[in-house]
Amino acid sequence: MGRNYFTILKVLSVTLLPILSLSFSTDSPTDRRLLVLLDDLSLKSSHSIFFNSLKSRGFDLDFKLADDPKLALQRYGQYLYDGLILFSPSIERFGGALDLADVLDFVDSGHDLIIATDSSSSDLIKSVATECGVDFDEDPSALVIDHKSYAVAETEGDHTLIAADDFIESDVLLGKKKIEAPVLFKGIAHSLNAANTLVLKVLSASPLAYSANPNSKLSSPPSLTGSSISLVSVVQARNNARIMITGSLDMFSNRFLRSSVQKAGSSRKYDKSGNEQFVTELSKWVFHVRGHLKAVNLRHNKAGETDEPAMYRIKDDLVFSVEIYEWSGKSWEPYVANDVQVQLYMMSPYVLKTLSNDKKGLYHTSFKVPDVYGVFQFKVEYHRLGYTSLSLSKQIPVRPFRHNEYERFITAAFPYYGASFTMMAGFFLFSFVYLYHK
Amino acid sequence: MGRATSKDAQALIHSLRSAYAATPSSLKIIDLYVGFAVFSAIIQVVYMAIVGSFPFNSFLSGVLSCIGTAVLAVCLRIQVNKENKEFKDLPSEHAFADFVLCNLVLHLVIMNFLG
Repeated sequence: MGRNYFTILKVLSVTLLPILSLSFSTDSPTDRRLLVLLDDLSLKSSHSIFFNSLKSRGFDLDFKLADDPKLALQRYGQYLYDGLILFSPSIERFGGALDLADVLDFVDSGHDLIIATDSSSSDLIKSVATECGVDFDEDPSALVIDHKSYAVAETEGDHTLIAADDFIESDVLLGKKKIEAPVLFKGIAHSLNAANTLVLKVLSASPLAYSANPNSKLSSPPSLTGSSISLVSVVQARNNARIMITGSLDMFSNRFLRSSVQKAGSSRKYDKSGNEQFVTELSKWVFHVRGHLKAVNLRHNKAGETDEPAMYRIKDDLVFSVEIYEWSGKSWEPYVANDVQVQLYMMSPYVLKTLSNDKKGLYHTSFKVPDVYGVFQFKVEYHRLGYTSLSLSKQIPVRPFRHNEYERFITAAFPYYGASFTMMAGFFLFSFVYLYHK
Repeated sequence: MGRATSKDAQALIHSLRSAYAATPSSLKIIDLYVGFAVFSAIIQVVYMAIVGSFPFNSFLSGVLSCIGTAVLAVCLRIQVNKENKEFKDLPSEHAFADFVLCNLVLHLVIMNFLG
């Protein structure tokens, strides 16, 4: 069924639409193809543990040199890959048909991206990162230096090998299991664009870190210092494309993944650094194994009925339900949370209720339509850190009472009813008395 | 004029009463009817002041029926009063028939608006 859909879509996309992306297609979310761009092919073996972990999760990796003249992300308007990994820090110009605009279009159409660079970073890679919301240090010779949180090595280093453990607090991004050992990092610093609301710092530098050239004396205070330096950042775009950006290509290397780590100033020595767990869990998030939600079956009906009416009346009782699932890498599992809310919205929310769930993915609630008529929308807005954002809405009109649906015989109005009827009786009696008195 | 004394007030009331006693009894019946209608309207307004105007249309309907009845009765009295030179040539049956028709329309409207 998945394969069939695939071929039909291929034919349609060639004939009808210019760019039909198959980013994270909910019908065929497995067997995804990744393009890995490298500076030199020795990275295939020096970073083999990371690449093998991706392959074992079902990805098809296509290794190419970044200046390969036959490079292309799309052919005949259709994308050839579902994700891009840029492990080519020093490339000045991509080969083939690829350029900066192509990479950005790739992300804009909903595909995922991992960028890793290091001290040999070219302006091209830095500008890709800037477009994604992250600013690398402009000084080409600067590295992140931390004289307090560096990793202890046998030789007295220049403190550019950092042992970082300032992780973001998020089970979705980094997995349920806490990363015990610090992560080894050696590379350049970047900071987040303050105006960007979609970018997150996953691993920040300690407050005593700074970005400067380790081989020369500092002539002026460095521009990037402290916790505003981000070592690893992620971006979750509004079209649910996920981007991971880091300034250390060595963080993914076999050497760092297998190395032991001891943070300076602490006596605890870890046999294995936190790198492998960190990059594996974060790449799982980037490729939508965690935190990818889908909401289906948004339904509403009057209390006691089963079909969806086209219109409600004010003060009706209604029941609203929606199903939310999370992709687990193999199947859609029910998503369990207690903070999903629904609004009945017309310029401002008239009703805002938290949905209760039955642990199998069905969220439901019931409420009374307010005493205002007009065209409303059921809105579910769910934006949580690390999760795809859900923005659902369904329009529903609400009508006022028909003339025969108003309350009759209101108790408070009995004196008025009484008065009117006594007036009628009085008129009747009066006319008799007036006509027949003597 | 001299000081108004209680004797003058008493004399005033006495003369009013004797003049009123001289009115024909049919007009007195109409006056009674008007008084009943206005009294009923006052009761309703006091009730609304206490309880609040929730079914406002019912309140308006009730008060309108009382005031409308009073107004129509006053019109009947004017037209039927022999001392009125304007309506000297209008037969009193004509006036009474108008009164009945207007009341029918009034009560039709009231019933619709009562809700």
